[in-house]
Amino acid sequence: MKIKNILLFLLLSVLFTGAACKKILNQPVLGNYTPGNFFTSDANAQLAVNDAYKYLAFNSGATNAIWVLGDLASDDVVKGGSSIGDQPDYQAVNQFDILPTNAAVEAVWQNYYNGVFACNVVTDGLTGNSAVSATMQQQGIAQARFLRAYYYFILTLCYGNIPLHLTVQTATEAQTPALAQDTIFTQIENDCIAAAAVLPQTVPATQLGVATQGAALALLAKTYLFHSDLANHYTLAAQTAQQVAALGYSLTNIYWDNFNANTKANTEEIFTVNHIAGTLGLGNELNVWFAPRSPAPTDGYGFFLPTQSLVNNYETATDGTPDPRLDYTIARSGHPYFDLAYDSTWSSTNYNCKKMCQPLSEVPAATKNVGTVNYEALRLSDILLVEAEALNESGQSAAALAPLNQVRERARNTAKYDSSLTGSSTVPAGLLPDITITDQTQLRAIIQRERRSELALEFHRFFDIIRYGSAYATAALTPGAPNFNYATNKWFPIPQSERDANPNLFK
Amino acid sequence: MKKLPIPWFDDSRGLKKILLLMRLTSCLLLITFLHVSAHVRSQDKLTVNVRQIGWQPFFDLLQKKSDYTFLYKDNVLPSHDKFDVEVSELTVPQILDNVLQNSPLSYQLMANHLIVITSRASPGIDAPEDIRITGRILSASGDPLAGATVHIKGSGAGTSTDSTGHYTLMAPDDATLVISYVGYETQEIAVGSRTRVDATLTSLPGSINEVVVIGYGTARKKDLTGAVSAINSRDINDLPVAGSDQIMQGKAAGVAITQVTGAPGDGVSVIIRGQASFLNSVPLYVIDGIPTADGINEISPNDIESISVLKDASSASIYGARAANGVVLITTKKGSNGKPRLALNAYTGMQTPEHFIPMANSTQYLNAYNAAAANDYVAGGASNRAPLPLGMLDTLPNVNWQKQVLKNAPMSDAQLSISGGGEGTKYIVSANYLDQKGMILNSSFSRFNLRTSVISTLNKIFEVGTNINLAYDKTRQVGSSGDGYTAPGGNNPGASIVRYALFRTPTTPVIYPNGPYQGQYVDLPETVNGNNVFGDGLNPVALAANTNRNFYNYTLLGDVYLQVSPIAHLKLKSDFGTNLIITDYKQFFPTWGIQRIQNSPNTLNQSNQNNFNYNWTNTATYDLLMGKQSLNILAGTEIIYNDTKIITGANTGFASQTSAFQYLSNGTSITPGVGGNESTWALSSLFGRLTYQYDGKYLASFNFRRDGSSKLDPSAQWGNFFSGSAGWRIDKEAFMQNVKPISLLKLRVDYGQLGDQNALSNYGYASLIGNNGYYAYGTTPAIAYTITAKGNPGLKWQTTTMGDVGLDVGLFSDAITFTADYYRKITTNLLQAPLDPTSAGSVAGAAFENNGKILNEGFEFELSYRHTINNDWSYNVTGNLTTLHNDVEALLENQPIPAGRVNTNVNATSTAVGHPVGAFYMLKQEGIFQTPEDVFTHASQGSPVRPGDVKYLDVNGDGVIDQNDRVFAGSPIPTMTYALTGQVHFRQFDLSLFFQGVTGDKIYNQVAMDIVGFYRPFNITEKTATESWHGEGTSNTRPLLSWNDATNNTQTSTRFLETGDYLKLKNLQLGYNLSNAFLSKLKMHSMRFYVSIQNVFTVTKYTGQDPEMTTSADAASSNDGPKALNIDWGTYPAARTTTVGVNVNF
Repeated sequence: MKIKNILLFLLLSVLFTGAACKKILNQPVLGNYTPGNFFTSDANAQLAVNDAYKYLAFNSGATNAIWVLGDLASDDVVKGGSSIGDQPDYQAVNQFDILPTNAAVEAVWQNYYNGVFACNVVTDGLTGNSAVSATMQQQGIAQARFLRAYYYFILTLCYGNIPLHLTVQTATEAQTPALAQDTIFTQIENDCIAAAAVLPQTVPATQLGVATQGAALALLAKTYLFHSDLANHYTLAAQTAQQVAALGYSLTNIYWDNFNANTKANTEEIFTVNHIAGTLGLGNELNVWFAPRSPAPTDGYGFFLPTQSLVNNYETATDGTPDPRLDYTIARSGHPYFDLAYDSTWSSTNYNCKKMCQPLSEVPAATKNVGTVNYEALRLSDILLVEAEALNESGQSAAALAPLNQVRERARNTAKYDSSLTGSSTVPAGLLPDITITDQTQLRAIIQRERRSELALEFHRFFDIIRYGSAYATAALTPGAPNFNYATNKWFPIPQSERDANPNLFK
Repeated sequence: MKKLPIPWFDDSRGLKKILLLMRLTSCLLLITFLHVSAHVRSQDKLTVNVRQIGWQPFFDLLQKKSDYTFLYKDNVLPSHDKFDVEVSELTVPQILDNVLQNSPLSYQLMANHLIVITSRASPGIDAPEDIRITGRILSASGDPLAGATVHIKGSGAGTSTDSTGHYTLMAPDDATLVISYVGYETQEIAVGSRTRVDATLTSLPGSINEVVVIGYGTARKKDLTGAVSAINSRDINDLPVAGSDQIMQGKAAGVAITQVTGAPGDGVSVIIRGQASFLNSVPLYVIDGIPTADGINEISPNDIESISVLKDASSASIYGARAANGVVLITTKKGSNGKPRLALNAYTGMQTPEHFIPMANSTQYLNAYNAAAANDYVAGGASNRAPLPLGMLDTLPNVNWQKQVLKNAPMSDAQLSISGGGEGTKYIVSANYLDQKGMILNSSFSRFNLRTSVISTLNKIFEVGTNINLAYDKTRQVGSSGDGYTAPGGNNPGASIVRYALFRTPTTPVIYPNGPYQGQYVDLPETVNGNNVFGDGLNPVALAANTNRNFYNYTLLGDVYLQVSPIAHLKLKSDFGTNLIITDYKQFFPTWGIQRIQNSPNTLNQSNQNNFNYNWTNTATYDLLMGKQSLNILAGTEIIYNDTKIITGANTGFASQTSAFQYLSNGTSITPGVGGNESTWALSSLFGRLTYQYDGKYLASFNFRRDGSSKLDPSAQWGNFFSGSAGWRIDKEAFMQNVKPISLLKLRVDYGQLGDQNALSNYGYASLIGNNGYYAYGTTPAIAYTITAKGNPGLKWQTTTMGDVGLDVGLFSDAITFTADYYRKITTNLLQAPLDPTSAGSVAGAAFENNGKILNEGFEFELSYRHTINNDWSYNVTGNLTTLHNDVEALLENQPIPAGRVNTNVNATSTAVGHPVGAFYMLKQEGIFQTPEDVFTHASQGSPVRPGDVKYLDVNGDGVIDQNDRVFAGSPIPTMTYALTGQVHFRQFDLSLFFQGVTGDKIYNQVAMDIVGFYRPFNITEKTATESWHGEGTSNTRPLLSWNDATNNTQTSTRFLETGDYLKLKNLQLGYNLSNAFLSKLKMHSMRFYVSIQNVFTVTKYTGQDPEMTTSADAASSNDGPKALNIDWGTYPAARTTTVGVNVNF
């Protein structure tokens, strides 16, 4: 009897605490959202969309090192800095002595794949989600898909065949093989087409930086241009570029307006990477990387020095007046560096880059690393030249002249609107005349030269060179980098961090 | 006092005996006695009136005033006694009758007016009729004790017991018997009128008869079938260390305890049976049944009664999912029945630097500089350095920077406790204060503890009890390890001060002796011709002086329980415990320096963390006795809950830097930083244990625990842990009964599984979405959220499977005890954050996965020997030795994990299959290039080399030295650790020595990269300055002094890898116990004075400050855990602490 009671008591107490046990194990995640409870409102979803944009910015020049791979690898610039040993890995890119551990090669890979990851967080969270408004769901996914396409576009241009991740994955799941560039381009095109169908044509100035239909189409056009495995890719590129132009964009009167912090939200801009001042670190750090270094009073690091070869690419008028874009793009002796007189001893090439840089009156030395100028990731003149190239390559050389001459016309007429540049508001005779040649080969060279001048130091040049093929690339690069070999150097090596962690990479 | 007969005096042999026995005070006294013996004035009456006189002056006085002569042994007279004498007109014998009453002395009047003063107990003089006493001595368990010593107090006379425990002895009827036996409490029994005196001796802790605390209960050590190391308070008394974990060092085999650094308040690493994790292998600490959230340093070492270390699967697995790294059970002191007892323990002392690395002095530095300049001279070269004129030395100081930063520092501790009990209630109340200054400025630790424990037995059925520990401690920290790779703040104390002290050249003064900055700290050394020839590092004294980093901990640890014993042998206990730890962190970074460039703008960081835990434990135990068999059943449930909240704040731009304004509100930032978070976990468990015994010969135990943890995905929260063990008391077998010397022979085996949920983060199963910065649209910043940590819902705890075979031996009635264990421990499902493919996104760290396998195996030996030579002399020696083999057996994809950054993009270790965790992996130094031919014929080393440069081994023979030539060069884990404690008692003195050492590990001396070569303008060691290569055959280990060849010579290689073997005399202590006679006057129970020296000396070949080390701030801040141990960035060394102390019991 007594023992029975005791056993009963024991049993009851065990059962009681046992019941309490189960309950106490319910300890929800505190202080952090989980994917399951985050995408429950439009406001939250917007926070994740914001993160998908974050990797576009040049808040850190070392993290977003696309300027190294896009231009330092090309014939347009050399490294600069304090000495040859300053950022030796960037020098290695310039020399095509590139190891998979190269800092720039690692940085671009990680930054743009982080962007892909942030986009996948959005698409995972919003797909099939009825907790947010239909508008948020559609617009959020469309923005994410456009941004993912943009990041993959950069990644495949840099690295060629790469792993493709379209959802958030565990380490093991993410150990996927590198897919052919053809597959990557196809995915980019699918994302762009889907995004273009949903994204708005325009956004208000307060939303400057948000992706639009034009951005998606412009990226699509560029992708088609590169996508040589696609049978009619030139035709598609031309058609898509024309679609963009039809959306109402127009070239700014003054070329510099694309690189001026005071003329953001201009008519030419299709997709801009937005930078602002302040203590949150949302500025353009390239402002300090590219500014001339001491003894120049500009307090910069002095990287990214334009070459004579680039300077020589600019056409001149009959009287020798150069293409106005030269002095917008490159600081040279005898011409002002913004509000300073330029001294060619500031640079080992005698030139400095002006794009991405601002005068001290706009950004003082103390906040030099927080520039406010935007990076125009996609602008109309780029797309016009895509159109011209695509038309020429698809056998419609005559049709290619119109977009090409549109670009040249704006360039030569810049002087009309900006007399400060040349000291004259008349266009010198023979400056950038309209092209009339319709021979495909000749026109190809003209478009290539035009593209180099128009888009110089905007981190596109290396990819253009590679697109133009082995002969062009070898001719362009081997003078500066005898190591260059088209077959092995057309893409940068996939970084060591990926090789170390992804055993299936080359399977 | 009875009149003393002098039966033997007429016997001349008796006098001889006296004279032989006694040590005469002096020959002079004897001569005096012969001389004065002629004068007889025996009937003279004296008047004596003195105050506070001692015995010897008293007898001298009487001798002077009378014709009596006094004879006595020096040591008979209680030296500290003082008393008053007021007599008038009495004879000397009358006076003596009066005064010696109630004293330990008696006197005998002899012929010739000789008075012999003797101790009352001395039989040589006072020899009443001896009587025959017999008796039997038993142990507490009823076993006869053979060979126990029985002697008469105050005399050498004695005997020992026979094999049945019996003895016979002739003793006076007022004698007191002293019964002693190795390993047992000595007893004193007054014979009185008895002729039979039996005694039962209780065993001393530390012997195998002791009762040890095990999980949710106690057990006799004899009956244990698992591997448990018990540490008793007497093993750890009076060590001048601050932490409760530090006192365990060297006390238990298989428990590796290593200081992290010597800084006050810095932690120690406690690893039981090897590194079994890629995270930290921290054992579970349970204080009086309360699992603690933060180790055991919240209680004072003085409050500890015993420590049990549960090392094997069977004893630890009752703690299931938390036991994989072993369990440390602490029992605090409790009250005992009797009058209130007051105990005071106090010490005070000085910490001094034990060792300085011999660095170059100013002359040596200049000569070395000039030698390097000459070595690097290139004809017509643009970067040649001009030699420094030696005449400069006249104006240069010669500073020993180690002496400037490491200064003597005091340390004191005082503990007062009152305990007692009666009427069913026992209590103890204690208070402790510890104050330890650090050798480096602005480092210190102080702690205040208050504790009470009350146990009340209400009646036969109910018992209630409570323990409450309150603690407040304050730690001031300076950088103590690491190079400050990541900015200080939060958990990161910044770069080591010692590192900067080693870097600073002797030619730079500490403060400006004159000039505009007179009295201020020198920032940067002066330049010569615009060149930094005397270094460019920070002034370590100024850096320490400007460090203001404080941690304030407020701790409550306590429980209350109710125990019900409704029927015999059944106990039901419900225990509710709580542990609350509030940690306030406050660090001010002042703007300082001549150029005011350090910490500009000044910044204040603060945080408040609130860690609240409770546990509710219900257990039932039932003892079932069935003839020769006995069964002990334990069943229980437990709930544990933990809640951690943190609030952080930061502000900058303080107009005034004084402490009165170091509050967040006084900063001037427009956007002061704020943060806060909370995190919880809970564990819910069922457990049980069956312990079976047959005839005390065959022992078995079976354990089970079922744990549910909130740290796992809700779909898979539960896990079961089983273990079993068996023991065989071979000595109890019939065939062993004739093997007399063997008092214990027990074979043990056990096997079981344990989990490691502590390694799991609270929400590791879930991906977390949080703030990840901003992007700007238009002109407006927009907050960005994304997945910041990836979760793995399939996560489970890492599982350790352990087997153990042990042997316990007792010889000569346990005078010698010996324990040996072999264990094999395999940890599987290792928690590992795999290398995430970077294409999967690196913003969110990889989710943890269960992968990999580590083996730890080894032998443990514990040996103890106690011997009482005689009444005056006894000694004991205990030692332990542990071997450890650690091996990674599997990894995710078997990919090695690099860790231990020692330079940009350079790691010193690789955790790889077939090697220990955190094995050193680097180039192998083959020697020094001696000749141009040597350079020419050797594999290319990448950068240009010349004779005098370091030559690396071309391991793969491809003619190029590169990262493919790295080799596994050693392990940071010692293969053997050992300790030895010896104690000698001589009368009232005791002396103890405690040695501790390790062998088989390596240390990567990272700081040597700078101070054994001229790579930056930093100081160099004396040997580097004087013994570097300077021509063929001059050195095969030290390259030539050169800046230009640094790229080659400083490569991470075995050049900087040194042996970590050391042997330390950790503690030397000499104590003196006051005699009982004196104490009784002072109404004291005991009083002991001692002098103790901690870290007396270190025997090592290691060239750094201190070979005892584990992890650095660098490894900690990069979460490398055990993958990056023993990397020395210039570590805050342990002090040599010399203390004097006293223990008093009233």
